[in-house]
Amino acid sequence: MIEFLTAWLGSLPGFMTPLLLASLGLLFCERAGVLNLGVEGVMALGAMTGAVVVLAGFGTWIALAAATLAAIAVSIPFMLAVIVFRAPQIPAGLALVAIGLGLSEALGRDAAHKPFSGLQALPWPDALVELPLVGRMLFEQDAIVILALVLAVIAARGLFQTPQGLRLRAVGEDPATADAAGVDVQLYQIVAVVIGSALIGLAGAYLSVGGSQIWTEGMVAGRGWISLALVVFAQWMPIRAILGAILFGGAEALIPRLQALGLEVPVYFLSMTPYLLTIGVLLILSLGTRTAQSEPGFLGRAYIRQDR
Amino acid sequence: MLERITLERRADASALRSAATYGVALVVAVALSLGVIIWAGVPTGALFEELIVQVFLTPAGLARTLTQATPMMFAALAAALCLRLKFWNIGIEGQLLMGAILATTVALYDIGGPIRLPLMLAASALGGTLWIAVPALLRLRFGVSEVIVTLLLSNVAFLFLQHLLFGPFGDTSHNFPTSPVFDEMEKLFRFGFGDTHAGLILALSAVLAIAVLVHRTRFGFAARFAGDNPRAADALGFETRRVMLISILLGGAMAGLAGGVIVSGTEHRLTQAVGLNMTFNGIVIAALAGNLPLMIPVVSFFIAGLSVASASLKVFYGVSEGIVLIIQGIILLTLVTFQFAATYRVTIRGPEAA
Amino acid sequence: MTDVETARAASADAALALDVRGVSKRFGEATVLNSVDFDLRKGEVHALLGENGAGKSTLMNILTGIYAADEGQVAVYEAPARIRSPSDAVALGIGMVHQHFKLVMPFTGRENIRLAAGTARAGSDWATVDARIADVLRLTGLEVDLDVSVSALSVAERQRIEILKALTLGAEILILDEPTAVLTDQEAERLLGLMRDLAGAGHAIVFITHKLREVMAAGDRVSTLRQGRMVMRGRAVTEVTSQALSVAMIGEQETTPIARGASTLGAPLLQVQDLSVRKEGVGVVDGVTLTVHSGEIVGLAGVGGNGQRELAEAVLGLIPSTGSIVLHGSALTDGTVSDRRAQGMRYVPADRTGHALSPNSSLAENLAAAAVRTGQLGHMLISIHAILGFARRLIDAFGIAGATAGGRRPVRLLSGGNAQKSVLARELDDAARLIIAHSPTRGLDVAACRFVHDRLIEATARGAGVLLISEDLEEILALSDHIHVISRGRLATTENAKPGREDIGALMLGHA
Repeated sequence: MIEFLTAWLGSLPGFMTPLLLASLGLLFCERAGVLNLGVEGVMALGAMTGAVVVLAGFGTWIALAAATLAAIAVSIPFMLAVIVFRAPQIPAGLALVAIGLGLSEALGRDAAHKPFSGLQALPWPDALVELPLVGRMLFEQDAIVILALVLAVIAARGLFQTPQGLRLRAVGEDPATADAAGVDVQLYQIVAVVIGSALIGLAGAYLSVGGSQIWTEGMVAGRGWISLALVVFAQWMPIRAILGAILFGGAEALIPRLQALGLEVPVYFLSMTPYLLTIGVLLILSLGTRTAQSEPGFLGRAYIRQDR
Repeated sequence: MLERITLERRADASALRSAATYGVALVVAVALSLGVIIWAGVPTGALFEELIVQVFLTPAGLARTLTQATPMMFAALAAALCLRLKFWNIGIEGQLLMGAILATTVALYDIGGPIRLPLMLAASALGGTLWIAVPALLRLRFGVSEVIVTLLLSNVAFLFLQHLLFGPFGDTSHNFPTSPVFDEMEKLFRFGFGDTHAGLILALSAVLAIAVLVHRTRFGFAARFAGDNPRAADALGFETRRVMLISILLGGAMAGLAGGVIVSGTEHRLTQAVGLNMTFNGIVIAALAGNLPLMIPVVSFFIAGLSVASASLKVFYGVSEGIVLIIQGIILLTLVTFQFAATYRVTIRGPEAA
Repeated sequence: MTDVETARAASADAALALDVRGVSKRFGEATVLNSVDFDLRKGEVHALLGENGAGKSTLMNILTGIYAADEGQVAVYEAPARIRSPSDAVALGIGMVHQHFKLVMPFTGRENIRLAAGTARAGSDWATVDARIADVLRLTGLEVDLDVSVSALSVAERQRIEILKALTLGAEILILDEPTAVLTDQEAERLLGLMRDLAGAGHAIVFITHKLREVMAAGDRVSTLRQGRMVMRGRAVTEVTSQALSVAMIGEQETTPIARGASTLGAPLLQVQDLSVRKEGVGVVDGVTLTVHSGEIVGLAGVGGNGQRELAEAVLGLIPSTGSIVLHGSALTDGTVSDRRAQGMRYVPADRTGHALSPNSSLAENLAAAAVRTGQLGHMLISIHAILGFARRLIDAFGIAGATAGGRRPVRLLSGGNAQKSVLARELDDAARLIIAHSPTRGLDVAACRFVHDRLIEATARGAGVLLISEDLEEILALSDHIHVISRGRLATTENAKPGREDIGALMLGHA
């Protein structure tokens, strides 16, 4: 039992991290009012870019940086369309998914199925790693896991305790009032999507460079969509996103552990849990009073300044 | 920053301007797409041959195109019916899969005797309807956004599909996750022209029926009014909620039928790939068709052609199938971005306010 | 020194906080402000009266930098000022509390003030802002919970936050736009007291209102705008009578009612008893009882925002209400919109694109919509031919211009006047018995107004009844057989079924 738990907990951070990073990225976008459905495609592009750069002989950190930049670059048409031209966000986001998935498939062909050496775990002393239950979970992880958690805390602080965060949230809640208060709505939205895309790209890169250390088509496997659900589940709060990522990642991590035990596990039903959980949360929230819903007031809508 | 460039809703948007904008968007989208194809390694000289001749002008190519267009038409109907009511159906693939699953269930368990095939199709429509009913009710009753729910349920459906294919529906005679091949009576009639099958007739009939429904019936009139301005529809006494619900459920049925015709017409069994990219196909086709049912067959034809072309481009020029996705993404993005030009006028304000 | 500091330094010496001379503003053809003079003294509460459309909002928008005046000058603390943007106004110490609050609902009051204070100005870090908030709270004695979400606060509390916000941003000149419209009597008292306190502390207050009692209770001087002109300028409150105020606001000209021939009132058509509508715990319509007879036009006068829209929607059945509604003998209280329309109820809403027309559907479809719904043009299948034919008749009968291609073009391309004609054409059909007309001539030119009025009268000649809800007093006086005034969701009626201007004005001013 202890072994099982240790193995499961040890693998948990690896599953949590991409979900956390992607949902933090989405959280920034959505807090500024931009619904970025393109996350699945952008993650794929990040994963592919990371793998390709490593295979080309550059170091892992350069690969991660390249993936982040690639994610921002591919999101630029989306930003222009949605923020400057006020195109409807949902089809634009779907288009971004297609472009991202298509690019990753097209450009990543040569890099597919080639294992490489990616992120390594931080070198803690063996004594710590061998601690029962929590040893591997705490001390056999790479730096990005820590980075993700730190970023979540920074995001929470930044959004709720700085003037810039206040303005960004105002843009997503009530752009008319923010505009009247002198906030540059479009600028804040662009910055939010840039930050968001960077985090999403990093999340994707972590899948290949960090986790499996290989690139295959379809390796994102719906984690982008799960992250969209995670943001709702976390009610747009970064610290809750950590909990959600642990929950969803933990469920995901359970499956290979159970299979390793030789158990007949309804793998696919288990994988459904994040989705069903989120639908449940949405339902419960909508049955409650209006104030329980904390979705940014202007999420998904294009703001056009009315003739004042 | 960019606020000096303001957008004002045009009051004079005319049909001519809308058509012109659509035309320009199309030209730009096609140009970009061709650019992508060339960048992917197809010589310019071969473009016409590969994209037009092989796909539309040879019997084999035409047959493949028609076959692929068949489920796309259903998917596009699903998208259009919902989009007209501003109901974002991102879960077409999921509804399609549930339709395919229910049709397969009827086939594998030999339900229905002589009416098995019609029963399969009816079951597929039912599957799609049930799967869209959840987000529809959540939205109409509780105001829950359908964007996330249809998306999530689509993923759930895919997982369910995998569970079935790796489990009770799996064909144990080989290692791949597909169902056993259907019996003869469970397959749609084939015309002998390539793989084209009776599903094509079904699809075209559905298009016609929906067109009549939308443009020529009281129900369609109510749906149009409700989709455009629900408050005005309410004030006129239309049963807005009911009309919207039925339209959305009908959309789900269409998606389910897409799944039904794929398993009984094209594949003759259930596989993991039945719903591949169909949400996206449906939405792009519906967007290009302006949500008009009668335009759907034409647009589906071309999008299917794109898909067929990519298969042969892969073989002959080593072009990845991801190209199709990129092109569809570019088309959709270009189209919705140009929509703004029809609706808004760009003005640049001077330093003096107003 | 910053602009605010300059202003404050100047204000120490200046007696005149604002001096507006000859300000005019035109929007297209319409002159909204016509050579307006207005002055505001330091330490006074200056009430500004005027009906809707008189120009009060436009004048205030000029003072707060949202519009630029076409002519005229503004001096702030006796120094000429150019107010080109809202931030200029704020820098000059001019702050405004609007009728529709500019608050981000999920944020706390403190966050809202920090947001407003925060852009590119020295001293906008949170510590400074919080300190200034504390100062203002101390000096004014305002009490409000700043650290709870604004959505959880009452309207009066939200208003206090708006006032606090303006003061924190350094407003010496404070403009309050109809602040008591949303308050209970008690809260209004508190607010009036606060205004007097602020004035006493050296602020200059512009108090926009239409309530006579408040002018008398809290004002030092009063000015009145009517149709873009300042007809009463800066008179001491102690020197004016309520009659003089009423006359200033509404004018003296008698309106000749439109000749209607022998208007014989028939049987009661619509009987509304004790109708109430509650929204978020507030009674926006409160115990309204009225009757409309066959052949009668019942006018409902009142300043906008007093429950007119909710009343209309409740009678039609669009929103839930309590009380009873009987139309033509049928009890329709629990009936759907469809039931009520079946009994002949029709609706010409104030916001035609909002509630009456489907903008992207063709004109013909909009005209035929009601007929389509009742199955008149086909039960299952409808023929385009029939719709076009139906529409053609209406287009001709009502003279709707812009109906090219037989009405096939989308209705959003029509002008306002023609769009309104379309709504009328559809709603004033032969089966119409009770027509709810809400501001039916808003935004229309003279000819179109005449047209609308003629059609309504024509309908009554056929035996229909009209419930005319309007903010245009001329219209009410010209058309109505019987006049009520609605104020805060309640009806005020005089003994006289057709009260004169003065009485109506008094009722609208809240002075029964």
